[in-house]
Amino acid sequence: MPDQQQPTQQPPTQQQPNQQQPGDHHDRPTGTPRALRLGVAGPVGTGKSSILATLCRELAGELAMAVVTNDIYTDEDARFLRSAGVLPTERIRAVETGACPHTAIRDDVSANLDAVEDLEEAYGPLDLVLVESGGDNLTATFSPALADAQLFCIDVAGGGDVARKGGPGITGADLLIVNKTDLAPYVEVDVAAMVADARSARGGLPVLALSRKDPGSVAELADWVRSVLARHRDGTHIPSDPGPMAPHSHAPSHAHSHAHSHDS
Amino acid sequence: MPGLAPLLLGDGRLPVGAYTYSAGLEPAVAAGLTRDRIPALLRARLRTAAVTEAAAAVLALRAAGQDLVDYGPVQRALAARTPAAPLREASAALGRGVHRLARRLAPDRPAVTALSAVRPRPLRPVTLGALGAVLNVSEEDLAHAVVYDELQTITSAALKLLPGDPLDTVAWVLAAEPDATAAAHEALAVRTPAELPARTAPLTEEWALQHARRERRLFLA
Repeated sequence: MPDQQQPTQQPPTQQQPNQQQPGDHHDRPTGTPRALRLGVAGPVGTGKSSILATLCRELAGELAMAVVTNDIYTDEDARFLRSAGVLPTERIRAVETGACPHTAIRDDVSANLDAVEDLEEAYGPLDLVLVESGGDNLTATFSPALADAQLFCIDVAGGGDVARKGGPGITGADLLIVNKTDLAPYVEVDVAAMVADARSARGGLPVLALSRKDPGSVAELADWVRSVLARHRDGTHIPSDPGPMAPHSHAPSHAHSHAHSHDS
Repeated sequence: MPGLAPLLLGDGRLPVGAYTYSAGLEPAVAAGLTRDRIPALLRARLRTAAVTEAAAAVLALRAAGQDLVDYGPVQRALAARTPAAPLREASAALGRGVHRLARRLAPDRPAVTALSAVRPRPLRPVTLGALGAVLNVSEEDLAHAVVYDELQTITSAALKLLPGDPLDTVAWVLAAEPDATAAAHEALAVRTPAELPARTAPLTEEWALQHARRERRLFLA
């Protein structure tokens, strides 16, 4: 068993809130950083699997990659990706989430860590491991114990006001993707306004309007991943936690009904 | 610490990946088990798999207390009594989460470092014995925790697989108490790995083998 966390582990009391010590992420015996673990989260149907396939297509030629999927049922997304032929099938693993995709990426990341470590052991050294969350809702984000960085995906078809509603993924993920921009005319969404809403909610964190039919946006996505990987390697990327649930409440409230849309 | 440790050990929120496991419920449901039969399944598990698991955990806890910690005999005895490969694999996967926690709490303790010497990966009861040593729990507390976890695993999974009123599940657990106590006592009476009872029921094995071939599943086993 790869005993990766042990040597550089810091007691929780020595960590800053919402940050991990960079040392946790540079624990290959050689001193070089282990693979960047990039989480891909977002509500169901917004295009996470498609983004994974796009990233594999764009980057697998230059980076050693692997993928872990989390699903309601074990391996639906894994099968989609395998059939897309973007990565050798054995490098795509699915984990059972006991119908708790939210738990698997935040409250208890054991099963995902096991899958990531197995892939590194079997095919390492790897440069990039993508971890796809099970399509959950606007509140599900990755724990920094699992993902070094994460992108959060919403789409224009979900409605132009989603970005304004916020939530930890929208406000705090390392990158927010507004996906399927090519569909905007059909769903009467103003992409520029949606992106502006997102930017104003994110305090300077990047927002990318993406369509797989727009090569320029795909190139921007790949460049963003390359830049995070570079920072991960030189030790300047400090994983941050977008936060657990946004401070929504279970009391009657007008603005936070999204927090209860466990629609997957 | 001794006051909280037994509670921690039995806490379903312990982050060791246990939510991926249904303790045989999902395979049983696929084979036709209905909600009204869950209490019967609980009793059946307490008389079969839970005894073996709890006894193995107690044996591992005793091994953890020796000067030279060697989990080999209990690991081999338990593997030999778990004939269905998918059940051994599920147990090893769950054990990995427990091992990770034990490593975080006490990376240098012989009870923990000895887990890394176990090949293939230590099964869950073996890692629970090691964690029990780290938490300094008694054999009685460990046996009860393992048995209790079996009940909680099934009833939690039931809320996903055969949904109903969650309050019912608490009543089921309480109703199973005499069988749970008997299982823990039987487990505590096992003195050596050679005496470890082989209790996994043939139907449990068969369902586990069928489950491993299923594509759309929620739980490991």
